[in-house]
Amino acid sequence: MTDRPAPAKLELLVRRDGEEDFELRQVASLVGYINSRPRRVDAGSFEISEVRSGVVASRPHFILKNTATDRYLLLSTPERFLWDQMNGSTSLQEMATAYVLEYGEFDFDIIPNLIHKLQHAQLLTLEPRSRLRQALARHRGRRVARALELALTSLERIRISSLNVHGFFQSLYRWGGFLLFTRVAIVAGIGLALLGAAAAVQLSREMRDVLDGFGSRPVLGIVTVKLLFFASVALHQIVHGLACIHYRRRVREFGFTFLHGFVPTFYVDVTDIFMTSRRARVVTAVSGALVHLVLGAAWFVVAAHVPVGGFTQAFAAASGIIQWQALVLSLYPFCFIEMDGYHVLVDVLGVPMLKHDALAYAKRLFTGAGRIRRGREEGLWIGYVALSTVSVAAFLAFNVWIILSATT
Amino acid sequence: MLTSAATLAFLRDVRLFESFDELDLAALAVHMRERPLRRNQILFREGDAGDEIFIVRRGTMLISKAVTGKVEQVLVRVEPGDFFGEMSLLDGSPRSATAQAESEAELLVLGRDGLQALTETNPRGAAAFFQAMVQVFIERLRRSTLQVAEATRWGLEATGLDVEAR
Repeated sequence: MTDRPAPAKLELLVRRDGEEDFELRQVASLVGYINSRPRRVDAGSFEISEVRSGVVASRPHFILKNTATDRYLLLSTPERFLWDQMNGSTSLQEMATAYVLEYGEFDFDIIPNLIHKLQHAQLLTLEPRSRLRQALARHRGRRVARALELALTSLERIRISSLNVHGFFQSLYRWGGFLLFTRVAIVAGIGLALLGAAAAVQLSREMRDVLDGFGSRPVLGIVTVKLLFFASVALHQIVHGLACIHYRRRVREFGFTFLHGFVPTFYVDVTDIFMTSRRARVVTAVSGALVHLVLGAAWFVVAAHVPVGGFTQAFAAASGIIQWQALVLSLYPFCFIEMDGYHVLVDVLGVPMLKHDALAYAKRLFTGAGRIRRGREEGLWIGYVALSTVSVAAFLAFNVWIILSATT
Repeated sequence: MLTSAATLAFLRDVRLFESFDELDLAALAVHMRERPLRRNQILFREGDAGDEIFIVRRGTMLISKAVTGKVEQVLVRVEPGDFFGEMSLLDGSPRSATAQAESEAELLVLGRDGLQALTETNPRGAAAFFQAMVQVFIERLRRSTLQVAEATRWGLEATGLDVEAR
């Protein structure tokens, strides 16, 4: 028996904004692996067919054929599930999470074994993941494309994070964080939410006067409100982490990054919570969003108790609106974004690929590649796309209304 | 110009000068100067011009090479008694990597003129100096070969590529 070497590590120096500031990071190959996003070959390069046993009632198997090389693979149902997710935008870590949600367990060998099989059959590619990135990669000879690709790559790689945060979250929990998960906190939260709701109703009757308080600098006021809100996003993620600790699971990472290369956001890795009960997963998902309920309520209460028409009232009211808007956005599952509410929904329904499948189905209908079928799953897909479309339109309209109300 | 007893005692333990006697060391130290660096201070950047070799007397220097954007790969940490920067000194090419102090550091600097003087006034010492340098080069080449192999292993592990099965 030969000893397996420890995973290879690279030591990287990441420069900060300052001329000389830097951070040293040890990046293990395992981190690269779980963040890799395998992409299957184009749709025209493979065929897949289902094989059912006529004798034994069991899960079907699938024959996957590479039409370019005439190589065949036999896939089990779980492997087929993973194959469907190899779209170039889902990381191995996300696939593992979806697997746990689908099957309620995890086989640590299934993903690497499947990847080996697929690579052997030349059914995976190493192309850039998005169409924009593919187009840019095709035109690297042009200076503009090269500059844009470099800018996107640089933004995507901006990530300030720590992998050694579990101790910090444990301390935070021990030194008061545990109070958030007590009945007293729940009652206090409900009480504050009711007070906030009453204040919001009162303010809504005179909203125009309230927002007039921004005076001659409405845009500056709203931008400041947005910046302050951004800090509460960090708090949202911290509470997710505390919930994870509450259920005695591990917080793997906390940090800041640019989502999709351009959306600045904080994040926390609480994927260890998937090894526990559904109740723990739901509580962890919902608890972060409740930060916005509490902060929003507090802002509304403040706004209702300061002089009418002043800057403080406008600032507090706008902060309350944006916090509760974030609450809705976090918990509302129908908005094409996989926020906390979406994860709760797919967990409860047991359909981890809801968005992916729904969008694929809608695309087939719009392009004429598929026909409307009546079934529970198809109904769910259509319902998801329709509700999400309406919701996103309403969200945009609401924000336009707020900005117009504040600036006119 | 450095001729203090402490400096000579330090140089005596530097591998490059292990064949030097006291007189040779004193003659060489005349051509050296001290260069203190605060923590995180950049000594030179990749692409800069340079014709000096640096010997670390105190602290640690990080030698890194740009990979992408603001990310650099750490090639080596240079500890007290070891040296760096000799490539630009010998071939006149721009600096191939960035050197930055990881902690507060103190360096001894030997320029091209000092090396020239050593060669002219003490050919035997210069030969020993270059021989020691070649030995260090060989060690570094071996280490670089290992680093390339390690980086390749990293890539294979990170992508899950099963090359053996192909």
